[in-house]
Amino acid sequence: MENPEILAYRREDGSVGVRNHVALIAVDHAGAVVVDGVAKLLRGVESVPHQYGRLQFGEDLELTFETLIGVGCNPNVAAAVVVGIEPNWTTKVAEEIEKRSKKPAKAVWVIGQGTVSAIEEAAKKARKLVSWATELRRESCKLSDLVIGVKCGASDTTSGIAANPVIGRVGEWIVDSGGTFIFGETTELAGGEHIVASRFESDEEREKFLKVYTDYVEFAKSKGADILGSQPTQENIAGGLTTIEEKALGNIQKVPNRPIKGVLKPAEKPKDRGVWFMDTSSSAQEQVTLLAAAGAAIHLFSTGKGNTVGNQIVPVVKITGNPITARQMEDNIDVDVSGITMGEISLDEGAMKVYEFMEKVANGKLTAAEILRHDNFTITKLYPSM
Amino acid sequence: MSSDYKKTHVHDKKDNVAVALEDLKPGDRVKVENKEIEIRQDIPFGHKVAISDIEEGGEVIKYGEVIGVAKQTIKAGEHVHVHNLRSLKYS
Repeated sequence: MENPEILAYRREDGSVGVRNHVALIAVDHAGAVVVDGVAKLLRGVESVPHQYGRLQFGEDLELTFETLIGVGCNPNVAAAVVVGIEPNWTTKVAEEIEKRSKKPAKAVWVIGQGTVSAIEEAAKKARKLVSWATELRRESCKLSDLVIGVKCGASDTTSGIAANPVIGRVGEWIVDSGGTFIFGETTELAGGEHIVASRFESDEEREKFLKVYTDYVEFAKSKGADILGSQPTQENIAGGLTTIEEKALGNIQKVPNRPIKGVLKPAEKPKDRGVWFMDTSSSAQEQVTLLAAAGAAIHLFSTGKGNTVGNQIVPVVKITGNPITARQMEDNIDVDVSGITMGEISLDEGAMKVYEFMEKVANGKLTAAEILRHDNFTITKLYPSM
Repeated sequence: MSSDYKKTHVHDKKDNVAVALEDLKPGDRVKVENKEIEIRQDIPFGHKVAISDIEEGGEVIKYGEVIGVAKQTIKAGEHVHVHNLRSLKYS
């Protein structure tokens, strides 16, 4: 398949982005109020609020830091203003963004000046950054320069017939032309985990994958939940999916049939091009956020019954193979591949529709979730705060 | 005439179930791999129909893989879902 030229933003760290946001990143609840305040004043910014970041510790705190830093480093971001309640953690996040991505990141904190004054300080800093960022120009890149994330949500049997196989095929085209592709959803592979495991390039990474999977099944059991028993969901069953095996086999149709390089920790950047598995929740907004933190520039999302997830930093492309959903939820759907389900078009023809749409999004076209402001940035919490 | 047949999708040659691509009613006919099957029950869009007889305890195959076993004998043309198919991973 042709690897089209795109006009995109080549960042100083070598990554390629399709948007040019000045991200206003909240470190905590106090920062969340400030970033939302600034976003009401300025054009050219994207507010990234959330309510965590206080009294977290250990791995859970590290993941929150890695998520915030990762989102700041995402190639769709030109520069960042990081806002928190106090200077220590706020400065740490801003400095890490600058160090890792070499892009400007400013820190603003609320203690010592109050919310209104912090909004003013952050707005002044962000205004300068927007003025600087809007001078940056899109330049010639290749579609394969992008990191692509994937996930499915509100799945039904059409996901396994059309939308997921289409993503798998597009993924093969991307990877064969030297691109990078990340999938996740540890729990929703249950029942098909042996097939995913068989595709790892090395035994070491295969063992790591199986351990991540088994550990999660055991963790859920320790909480009195059997993940094998929680799937498929009521929504899936209404859509015709009966067993967890059936759901998983449909889910993994979206993984390109190519060797898998390795296992990434939540929010971890891929070390190389190719297909990567990330240990993530199957909750759409959490998974999309973790992949955004790992540098995904575009996210391909298949849905049967109609999940509406989006992210303020990463365009989420919504693909459905269900003709009823395509009609009922037209506002939310970017690419309708129900022609495959109905036997009217081939898998490759459907995949080409997605590929061409992706190319347009890479060149600046907004997705349904972006236009509708489905700004679903969400922190993954590993355990309760202190 | 092929237009008399209702639409279904079979993922793999080994499969013994097909996915209904329109609502199916008793008496409707579907054709898979040159085999004609009469629908015996109401089967909504997206749900599975048996395309061969499956004995109680027999494997139900979709995507060429086992997706569970029959809880009871399932005849070709019958609805295959939670009432007659159970997971091997979880029961």
